[in-house]
Amino acid sequence: MSFAELLAAALLILSALVVVRTSNAVHAALALIANFLVIAAVYVGLEARFVAMTQVIVYAGAIVVLFLFVIMLLSAAQANVGKDLLPGLQIPAILGSVALAGVLVYALGRFSAPANPGVLNGGLPQALGPLLYTPEKWLYALLLVGFLLLVATIAAVVLVEPERIVPEASKPASEEKELVGR
Amino acid sequence: MSWLVVSALLFAIGAYGVLSRRTAILVFLSIELMLNAANLALIAFARQWGSLEAQVVTLFVIAIAAAEVAVGLGLIVAIFRRRETTGVDELRGLRG
Repeated sequence: MSFAELLAAALLILSALVVVRTSNAVHAALALIANFLVIAAVYVGLEARFVAMTQVIVYAGAIVVLFLFVIMLLSAAQANVGKDLLPGLQIPAILGSVALAGVLVYALGRFSAPANPGVLNGGLPQALGPLLYTPEKWLYALLLVGFLLLVATIAAVVLVEPERIVPEASKPASEEKELVGR
Repeated sequence: MSWLVVSALLFAIGAYGVLSRRTAILVFLSIELMLNAANLALIAFARQWGSLEAQVVTLFVIAIAAAEVAVGLGLIVAIFRRRETTGVDELRGLRG
């Protein structure tokens, strides 16, 4: 690895550790933005420029800002308040994630690339477009994902809708009489 | 090869966050970290294999993560309205 790649890997690990360890939720979201921007730079180095741009626009620009908005809305910046019903979870969590890292590194270490790989064309939109918009390739999957996003938007609106105020006409008759008498 | 190792480490850090965090919003942030580790592995595979299909799959992962965040944050806001908390330890009943 070159020096820039090592620096990017160190920044990725460091910002991820900040995301999972800091006690302030706003700091965690900001560290996540830093992580996503470094990942986008890594994508450019790995010949995936269109995915890098999508990463910056969708993840760092939209998703994390939505997270920040909800953190502010719920006044949930203090991440570790409240009673911990499962004390002593830290050590099993650390052991489990270290074991998971070992298994994943072992499994990925067994991967071997083919002798003569194909051409990526830098991962530009001109290279990805024919794959995305050809019916024999991924066109129908793209349409389905668009429909999924529509359903998710409607679901979010329905979920956060406040409870309806009961209109006057549907109230019980006795209550109505009382109101009229007054 | 080396980016695959980095993505494995990022995925394990995200799993640690999911297991150890107490607030639902931060559990969601850790899930995003894990999704990005998977994306990084896909892009590294695309580079080594010389095939663009993995990059297309990465775009789909990003779109589905956006949908998941919309629904998940809506759920968190709805739960907070009713329970005044988003702590995953205290939300034990499904009755609502």
